[in-house]
Amino acid sequence: MISTHGLTRAFDGVPAVEDVSFTVPAGTLFALLGPNGAGKTTTVRMLMGLIGPSAGSATVAGYRIGAGAETGRVLRRACGLLTEAPGFYDRMSAGDNLRFFGRLYGLPERTLRQQVEHFLRLLELWDRRDDAVGTFSKGMKQRLAIIRALFHDPKVVFLDEPTAGLDPEAALEVRELIARLKTEGRTIVVCTHNLDEAERLADAVGILRRRLLVCDSLERLRAGPGGDGRLSVRCVLTGPAALHAPALSAGPPAPALREVRATETTLTARCRPDEVPGLVAWLVGRGAGIREVRTETNTLESIYLRAVRGEH
Amino acid sequence: MRTLWLFLAREWADTWRNSRVLPLFLIMPIIMIVLPLILALLAPTLVHDAQLRQDPSTLGMLRALSRSPEFAGLPPAEGLARYLLRATLGVFLLMPIAMASTAAAFSIVGEKQQRTLEPILATPITDRQLLLGKLVACSVPTIVVTVAAGLIAIVGVDIVFATRGMTMPLPDRFWALTLLVLAPALTVAVALVTMRLSARSSDPQATVQTSALAILPAFLLIVALLGPMLAVSFSGVCAACVVVLLIDVALFRMNVVRFRREEILTTWK
Repeated sequence: MISTHGLTRAFDGVPAVEDVSFTVPAGTLFALLGPNGAGKTTTVRMLMGLIGPSAGSATVAGYRIGAGAETGRVLRRACGLLTEAPGFYDRMSAGDNLRFFGRLYGLPERTLRQQVEHFLRLLELWDRRDDAVGTFSKGMKQRLAIIRALFHDPKVVFLDEPTAGLDPEAALEVRELIARLKTEGRTIVVCTHNLDEAERLADAVGILRRRLLVCDSLERLRAGPGGDGRLSVRCVLTGPAALHAPALSAGPPAPALREVRATETTLTARCRPDEVPGLVAWLVGRGAGIREVRTETNTLESIYLRAVRGEH
Repeated sequence: MRTLWLFLAREWADTWRNSRVLPLFLIMPIIMIVLPLILALLAPTLVHDAQLRQDPSTLGMLRALSRSPEFAGLPPAEGLARYLLRATLGVFLLMPIAMASTAAAFSIVGEKQQRTLEPILATPITDRQLLLGKLVACSVPTIVVTVAAGLIAIVGVDIVFATRGMTMPLPDRFWALTLLVLAPALTVAVALVTMRLSARSSDPQATVQTSALAILPAFLLIVALLGPMLAVSFSGVCAACVVVLLIDVALFRMNVVRFRREEILTTWK
């Protein structure tokens, strides 16, 4: 549904996004992660056809970006965009705002009326439909902006920071709505730096920092390099044996020395889950006191941090 | 067409709720209505006083008017009143400039401030539709208010003349052409210039000031050079209409050519 090849965009000669290539299959949710200024919004704007790429190409919902004004119009009709800031006319009511944008999408009046009512009821804003948007809370504005991104029934939805600045309850509501959109078969791209959100919702993840540092399914990323299903086991040893930790490095499954302090030593090993008891027994057999054994899985946070710190 | 109406309706609704634009739309028409009425009411007194005091400038003007084919044969008070009414048409050109530049500045910069431009650009709307929609939205309220104020002034002036047993002077061809062509054309020109200037600004007040700096000197120069001619020469008014309409076309083409979605998204922050 979305495919990019070497997508690049520079402003005044300074690259904001460089050589970005990824594919998002139809009906999946792709989370584009990255720190502020990483190029997430620029990437989405290029995919929406709002700005052109300096180099590279992309196809969204079957339409090639930058292929002329008419293709741009059709592309924008096929996509929905939740912008970083909700962007509504504060002095107009919620209903009037939605009707204004719905008409710009060319929705027939009857469809527009039905869609506005359907979504306002769905997101519990129906009772506030005649109130000026300026009186709405940030969460309510965000929900309204999500309605605007959806009510023309787009095949592809771009959500730029959908829960930024929302309180936990409002953020949960928005996440539930996004999860529901996924079940409806829409292709969704979420730009966020909320890793927890991405981990809960995404099928695949791209970590962007001007360049795409990591891009894979969440499942494969969690499995780690090689995807062999092995765990990272961290053992904190105490006692005299701990001071001779280098000698322990020879044992199966070859723990690696990570840190030696005066009273304790930390070892890590990569092993299958059923190998962990054997590893512990082996260490105890060599006189090590074990203060802590912890298995470490690849969390999105660790993957993200490794990527942005350049450790990947 | 639907898009134009859509922008117009939204802008119209917004104007009536904007506490910084609304006063202008309420006060300016009052000035436009009251000034011709005052001149119509005061003309006989002015003539009477001038004759009493032998005021050389007013008497000189009356003599000049009596030689003009348009005013020859009219009583001095009526001739002067009709001439002054022509001269007040300048107000119907100046007021739209103030209203259109303010409305356009708030219209465009307001979109920036409310962060509504990106959602609008994300819809299937074309560049031309957006520009035309904005232009119509900025211009039509000013044109409607100007024409309405002009109609009320015409009725009021005619009532004043009728109660004095004089022929009703308005609407004459000068007023008709100025109200229906020249003022709207000038409004469109001002809106186009303001729209262009506001692309580089994020503050409505700064945009109004910048556009005033750009527009007012040019306007004052035109009035200084052509003002007397516009009051007595109908062909001069026609020529002014043609010139301003040509400027409108040129400005619109320039705005369309220089319009860039990217520029809007990346500089209209």
